Parts: sequence; structure tokens; C-alpha cells
Amino acid sequence: MEQFIAFLLAILSSMLIDNVVLSRFYGICPFLGVSRKTKSSLGMGIAVVFVIMLATLICWPLYHFVLVPAGIPFMDTVVYILVIASLVQLVGLFIKKYSPSLYKSLGIYLPLITTNCAVLGVAQGNTDQGYTFLQAIANGLGTSIGFLLIIVTFSCIRTRLDSANTPKAFKGLPIALITAAIMAIALMGLQGLFSGLAL
Amino acid sequence: MTILWAALILLGLGLALGLGLAIAAKILLVKEDERIEEVAKRLPNYNCGSCGFAGCHDMAEAIVTGAETNLKKCKPGKEDINFKPILEYLDAHPNADGSKVKAHL
Repeated sequence: MEQFIAFLLAILSSMLIDNVVLSRFYGICPFLGVSRKTKSSLGMGIAVVFVIMLATLICWPLYHFVLVPAGIPFMDTVVYILVIASLVQLVGLFIKKYSPSLYKSLGIYLPLITTNCAVLGVAQGNTDQGYTFLQAIANGLGTSIGFLLIIVTFSCIRTRLDSANTPKAFKGLPIALITAAIMAIALMGLQGLFSGLAL
Repeated sequence: MTILWAALILLGLGLALGLGLAIAAKILLVKEDERIEEVAKRLPNYNCGSCGFAGCHDMAEAIVTGAETNLKKCKPGKEDINFKPILEYLDAHPNADGSKVKAHL
């Protein structure tokens, strides 16, 4: 039971407190690029959740059961990139087959998940910080759901911003960046939310 | 010895992932209009994007579906090498209902 609570708290904390986009500043490129429409941002978020979860499930065992026994843990980044790139290809094929319209609206940002630092950051962080497999899964789940949450919220705000009466100089990306900054400040308010609990 | 292991493991991993992708590509194959591929072959394939599409394949799709009729949108394309063969090909391969693809220079 205690372990389960710790698992949930680890998910929540990497989802909200150490939010991948707004406090660790990973994955800014799709965050700004694909957040214009809610539907495509949802698709992007789910694709990232899928890739991060699979990358976590593959990379952690790969590191501990292949790279470390072979004495080449320094090759981790290269191996992770290889795994992530193939996973993204797979997701791309999948989306192209089952949702061509989503494939269109994601456009170039879909293959760019390969270089999305959020994905590599999770895989690398899991092994660098010496997480156990369960902690790694919690970290992956929390980070990716955090990304999904923020990108969808942000796209909802941006749809409203499009019809809002913003000054001409701020139209489009500038006001979006200001909005993102305010969102980051808002999330800072959650800092220390779990500090009273012994984890 | 370490470097040998590194190379071997990466090679093995690459092979396994590549094989997996090849199988997935077979299973998840999307049937698309074969004329798109043929038109894309006749475009310059620089993927420069100056036509306003994401790449030559996107432009080819737009031409075949009729969303783009002006071949001249392709800036690096040459009339003799690219556009004439495309027009000839499209003339010889009309739409399923028999109508011609509306493309011009």
C-alpha cells in the first residue's frame, strides 16, 4: 500500500511539480509548434506519452541488463537515440495507417519526436539518477502525462487567444510565449506541495 | 575489447530494430494512389518546400488530388525534365471516373 502511494506521488510530482515543459523546459519545440489546434495537440500529446512509455520500458532494462554487464554504460545516449528513433518511426506508421488526418496535422513534428528532448531526457534521467524500474515507470508516466496535460491546456488557451483582442505587436507567437511564462509561474505555486510528506 | 562489445551490441540492436520496423511497415502499409508516387518520382525531389508544401511527395499528392493545378509552383522544376513528363503521365492515367487530372504549366 505504501509503495503504491509512493508510486502515485512520484507520478504526480513529475507531472505537476517538475513539469517537463514548464519547469524543466524540455520539449518546447512541439509545445509551441503543435499547440495551435486542440485536436492535433491531443494527438501529439498521446504520441509523446506512447513513445516515452515505450522508451522507458525498453531503455531501462537495456541499460541495466545489456549495457552495464557488457561494460559499456557510456554508450547509453547513442542506444537511447537508436531506440527512440525506431519507436517514433513505428508510431508514425501507426498514425499514418489509422488516422491520416492526424498524420497531416502533426506534419513535420511527428518525426521530430525523435529529437524531442523530453523523451531522451526521461530515458537518460531514469538511468542517470539510479531509479528502480518502478520509479522509472512512474517518472515516465508522470512526465509524459504532464506533457500531454500542458500541451492540451496551452492549445485551449491559444484557440481563445486567436479570437481575443490582442495588440497587433503581440499577435500569434509573442502572446503565446507570454502565456507560457504565466503558466510556468502558476505551476511554480505547486512547488513544495509534497514536502510535508515523507517519501 | 570494450569497443568490440560496443560495436557488436549496437549492430545487434540496429538489426533487431530495423527488422521490427520492416515487419511493421509491411503490416501497417497504407495503400495510396500509385500515381502520387509516379508524379513524385518526376518532380526534382529536392524537398526544398518552395512550392508551399512540406515536400515533393506532398506536392505530388496535391497535384493528383487536384488541390494544386499549377505545376510552376515548383520553383526548381524544369519544363522539359519535370513538368512535361508529369503532364504526359497524368494524361495517360486519368482518374478512376475517367476525368482528367487538371494540371497545367
